[in-house]
Amino acid sequence: MSAWRSAALLCVPLFSTLGTAHAQSDALGWLRRIQDATRHLSYSGTFVYQHGGRSETSRITRLAAADTERLEVLDGMPRELVRTRDTVRCYLPESQLVKVERRTPERNFPALLPGELSTLLQNYDISLGETRRIGGFECQGVVLAPKDNLRYGYRLYADTASGMLVRATTVDAAGNPVEQFTFTQLAIGRVTPEMVKPRHAATGWRVEDAATAPARLAGWSVNADLPGFHKVVELTRRMGESKPVGQLVFSDGLAAVSVFIEPLGPQREPPRTGLASLGAIHIYTREVANHMVTVVGEAPAASVQRIANAVQYRRP
Amino acid sequence: MTEKISALMDGELEARAADEALELLRRDGEAADCWRLYHLMSDALHGQRQFLSPRFVERVAARLATEPAVLTSGALPGRTPLQRYALAAAASLAAVALVGWLALAPPPQSQPPLAQAQQPAALTVSLPHAANDYLLAHQGFSPRMSLLGIAPYVRTVAEHADEPAK
Repeated sequence: MSAWRSAALLCVPLFSTLGTAHAQSDALGWLRRIQDATRHLSYSGTFVYQHGGRSETSRITRLAAADTERLEVLDGMPRELVRTRDTVRCYLPESQLVKVERRTPERNFPALLPGELSTLLQNYDISLGETRRIGGFECQGVVLAPKDNLRYGYRLYADTASGMLVRATTVDAAGNPVEQFTFTQLAIGRVTPEMVKPRHAATGWRVEDAATAPARLAGWSVNADLPGFHKVVELTRRMGESKPVGQLVFSDGLAAVSVFIEPLGPQREPPRTGLASLGAIHIYTREVANHMVTVVGEAPAASVQRIANAVQYRRP
Repeated sequence: MTEKISALMDGELEARAADEALELLRRDGEAADCWRLYHLMSDALHGQRQFLSPRFVERVAARLATEPAVLTSGALPGRTPLQRYALAAAASLAAVALVGWLALAPPPQSQPPLAQAQQPAALTVSLPHAANDYLLAHQGFSPRMSLLGIAPYVRTVAEHADEPAK
């Protein structure tokens, strides 16, 4: 008897159930490793962001001891981002502007804590993928396949030695990549505090502070949740120099969709309504009760549009 | 019987025994079912998931019907009658196998009902003027950051370079 026959005739039911469960826990183990590496390792590297036929090179440095990361975009207009434990600062030297996002405890919502990775199984089938060499690293593939077409799938490749994510590809329902992050060069360790300092002193630059505060947005609701997505945050904030803007965030544990609600003043021109996209991000704008509702999320257009269409206002 | 069929699948039978097995498949419905099932299992075990599309056989048959008939004799030059018989048998078996796949293949996965909620296609517009602000404000809440670190923030700022004038 050949091998396939023995397997086929004797062990099919056993093989398929045990095999699946085992592969799944292996894959979850790899996700945990990736998470740990992202959090606990210091590294510096060059990575390429590809979307819609375009690619852009950036440099990323992380100093784990200080929980600080720096991202410097090397192509096009110079831009720099520094994320510390409690702030994200975006430096735009050409407009002499710093945008500041604060990370308060309320903002660090608890999705995807190491212990909660298994909740992803509600919305994704998680399995080990192929092993492949990328940028000089031997990588293990991990595949997150969505259980419906309300969310994207992900193909992750992690360095087998360190667990660092070397490539992350977001794929649509047909399996086509919509965007991809790849480290083309990566060095683990040997990061000094100097390396994560912003390049710009930003003295005298204009500062736009988001000034976020947890809030109940009275009268506003999303009347039909997108299956698998739950509301994780509700707050008010500033955006640019605008009046306070409401923000609701929904997440399925991996992808997130934000709903922004801004009052439209009488002097403002009508909002440009419709759908726009950038890589895996879709942005859908519509007008509701003299407010502009903008929904932004790393989800298929239909999902973003569905959340936007479910936003309603009832006088409280 | 099953032993013989699986041996045939693995190419382990002598020519004469193979002929007998082929004859059996032609005559015996149960044997033919067994043959189909073994192929399906083999494919499943080898990770083969691409089953033939529905109506494959009909489409091939329709296409064949429109092909001009080949009238030349000796279409298989240099082959002995035995080989020709084997090829013909293989061809008919292949057809049996196709039918088997079609019969046994799971129906094409139906779309989840939720996904069927149709909505009118949205008007496609260019990125809003404040796209960067929205992206910066949104990005920090994406759980993907715990896997990707700061990398997704590159999206926050990418658009500026492409559309500076808006």
